[in-house]
Amino acid sequence: MPSLSRRSLLLSTGATLLLARAGFAQRAPGWTPPPIPPHDPKVDTEWRHYAADQANTRYAPLDQINAANFNNLEVAWRFKTDALGNRKEYQFEATPLLVKGRLFLTAGARRDCVALDAATGEMLWMYRMDEGQRAANAPRQLSGHGCSYWTDGTIERVLFVTTGYRLVSLDAATGIPDPDFGDKGAIDLKSDFDQEIDPLTADVGLHATPLVVKNVIVVGASHSAGDVPATRFNVKGYVRGFDVKTGKRLWTFHTIPKKGEFGYDTWLDGNADQAGNAGVWAQMSADEELGLVYLPVELPTGDEMGLYRHGPALFGESLVAVDIMTGQRKWHYQFVHHGLWDRDIPCAPILCDIPHDGKMVKALAQPSKQAFLYVLNRETGKPIWPIVERKVAAGDVPGEWYSPTQPFPTKPPAYDRQGVTPDDLIDFTPELHAQALDLVKNYVIGPLYTPPTLSKVSGPFGTLIAPGVQGGTNWPGGCYDPETCKVYVYSKTVIQLVGIVPNTDKNVSDFAYVHGMAGIAPQAQRAMGAANEYAGFRPPPPPPPGAPKGPRLGPLTVQGLPLVKPPYGRITAIDLTKGDIAWQIAHGETPDNIRNHPALKGLKIPRTGREGNLGPLCTKTLVICGESGFFTNAQGVRGAMLRAYDKATGEEKGAVYIPAPQSGSPMTYMLRGRQYIVVAIGGGNYSGELVAFKLPKES
Amino acid sequence: MRISWKNTQGRTALLAGTGLLAMTAAVATRAQSAGSSVWSGAYTAEQADRGKAAYATNCAACHGPTLTGGDSAPPLSGGVFLNNWNGTTTGDLFARIHDTMPASDPGSLGGKTVADIEAFIFQANGFPAGTTPLPSDPQLMTGTKILGTKPAG
Repeated sequence: MPSLSRRSLLLSTGATLLLARAGFAQRAPGWTPPPIPPHDPKVDTEWRHYAADQANTRYAPLDQINAANFNNLEVAWRFKTDALGNRKEYQFEATPLLVKGRLFLTAGARRDCVALDAATGEMLWMYRMDEGQRAANAPRQLSGHGCSYWTDGTIERVLFVTTGYRLVSLDAATGIPDPDFGDKGAIDLKSDFDQEIDPLTADVGLHATPLVVKNVIVVGASHSAGDVPATRFNVKGYVRGFDVKTGKRLWTFHTIPKKGEFGYDTWLDGNADQAGNAGVWAQMSADEELGLVYLPVELPTGDEMGLYRHGPALFGESLVAVDIMTGQRKWHYQFVHHGLWDRDIPCAPILCDIPHDGKMVKALAQPSKQAFLYVLNRETGKPIWPIVERKVAAGDVPGEWYSPTQPFPTKPPAYDRQGVTPDDLIDFTPELHAQALDLVKNYVIGPLYTPPTLSKVSGPFGTLIAPGVQGGTNWPGGCYDPETCKVYVYSKTVIQLVGIVPNTDKNVSDFAYVHGMAGIAPQAQRAMGAANEYAGFRPPPPPPPGAPKGPRLGPLTVQGLPLVKPPYGRITAIDLTKGDIAWQIAHGETPDNIRNHPALKGLKIPRTGREGNLGPLCTKTLVICGESGFFTNAQGVRGAMLRAYDKATGEEKGAVYIPAPQSGSPMTYMLRGRQYIVVAIGGGNYSGELVAFKLPKES
Repeated sequence: MRISWKNTQGRTALLAGTGLLAMTAAVATRAQSAGSSVWSGAYTAEQADRGKAAYATNCAACHGPTLTGGDSAPPLSGGVFLNNWNGTTTGDLFARIHDTMPASDPGSLGGKTVADIEAFIFQANGFPAGTTPLPSDPQLMTGTKILGTKPAG
């Protein structure tokens, strides 16, 4: 066997895997592991978790890059991900970890795990697992949110979940799988799951990072989108804790309780037995002192239809605190009862110690799709400010169960538009507003938690909801300044149609009603790559003679402009010492089609912000966040901006060009005396790239 | 569509030295000439019809039957789509579709089908049909811009 140079190891990815799996790479003659880049533990900072720490603050108290010099930032290096995987990737969502001068992340269409020199972006090692059809069938594909790091002070491990739902543990120095972990370095997460599922086709995966806490690694589950679920008997999204050293399963938390377990009786007619989903696809948080992991749970099967999950149905849309070592539930809080609006808890709660009633309280703040920030005592699960149950309307879908009330926080106020009223509609000009009013006549509108409506060709076509099913806030979550007790969170403002239509085609779904629009035959949703012979087009039945025209197709717009008033994207600062909004700004340059729109010629329109999914970063003085969409700048160049705001006031202090929108969330670190900001970008025609900024030496 | 002869073909004419060759070149590059856009007829109606069926089979499950996007896929019509592709070329969008879609089997769609689907997306976004089909080779599409807003004049 020829000796392996570092270069050949990096280039010959197949060889890397082969050797690693066979377990003899470390003995290969002539091969030495890549050197650990120069670093200084005395002055360098680290970023050991997805959002900086287990509290998910995405905060670093650094100020070399500040308001005075942000505009001087220069690109330190770029790492293009095109060579990873068998095709380019355009949805690069990772946030890297920084440990001892190395960045660790997942990247590329296949979700390879890589280590980079944090000063130069040079690749140190990469690990890939080719999972074939199992990966092609996975519900959550592409690069994922990143990886996790564990050390006992000597041994270092990097762990991540593959596209095909395996948990892999790698030596952080070499990228070689740990032979003592699971089966030659990997665990098959589709087994030992308290349920029998098919390893090739089962609808389960995970693109979030697993959570390392003490010597436990906690793994959630995600599934295909549930607007038109293939089956109500889907995989149950249980959460598991594993021994980080051996891969042995320590515990399983049943997010859908089994008979006899707490919460089972919140389901009517034993519906818990058959229901699936209720996964934790979001990031998680942990408090090692309290010994608790915080699990943000999504809906059981059916994003807008609760036909087969009657009752409040714990732990759907609940935050659950479980013991790190045993997985035993300590407390839970359900934010939506029997949800019909796809309000999965999409991101990790931010753990924060805040002054309240004259004493410091161990609290947490949970951003949400519905634009409430839920603030709870993280020891007990009790609300810091009262959360009250208010009556909400019932809908008209046969077989549906409607919760009579929903929880509404009294503080802090909602940080984005909730519900749809005439006042929420576009009003750049009276003409546009009148057209918007005319448009919404055909839909049901109302306050937050107005239920989805049957979509009829003669109207109403469905319910307009705001925020849309993706939020509000989605997977990147917020950030937190522990010095001033402020949460910063990005949210988008979208009005979206949710209609319910009957379904009789068992090949599409075994649900009697699914999310859809009258006049259009429901189409099967499925795991992304799973073979589906019924995926072909079936034209809708012709409308009866003399029938009304039916709902308009395409997006809800007025002359091509968004139906809702701007801002379309915003960053809000929420002061947890008071439970109030400290400031709120539109985030994102006004899109080209609004700046160039003939109906708006001559109007002075303030920056509108952009819709997207963005995670902000908090430093000593700044809140930093890239934009979510392309625009054409004054130089005529397409791109986006990475912007910096004064964290006390929201005033913009600087902006640097990025050639594509922010697709992951930014992180920052000090390395050998220089502060770096690193962010994943990509989208449209621009494939995934990690870009690092630092100041020129003269700054 | 108006083509400025001097700007787009003057150099070719000079190099070729014959009017005939220059004219041939002008015809061949008419639909893709520098400065052309999706507003000047970048696809044919027949192509968009085929694309509609291909879209329903390959794309609608994730991007929605009316191109409004879904929980796991972005919209392919309206402001979000137009703003994010504004200023790119028809070849850029072709490459993105061809290389990464459908998610179940990326790279499996042939160039003709990709061009048909792209034509349908253009139709759904209100770009007019023309007489020259969208090519099935992205190398022939570098000169036609996707512009979210119709250029003045």
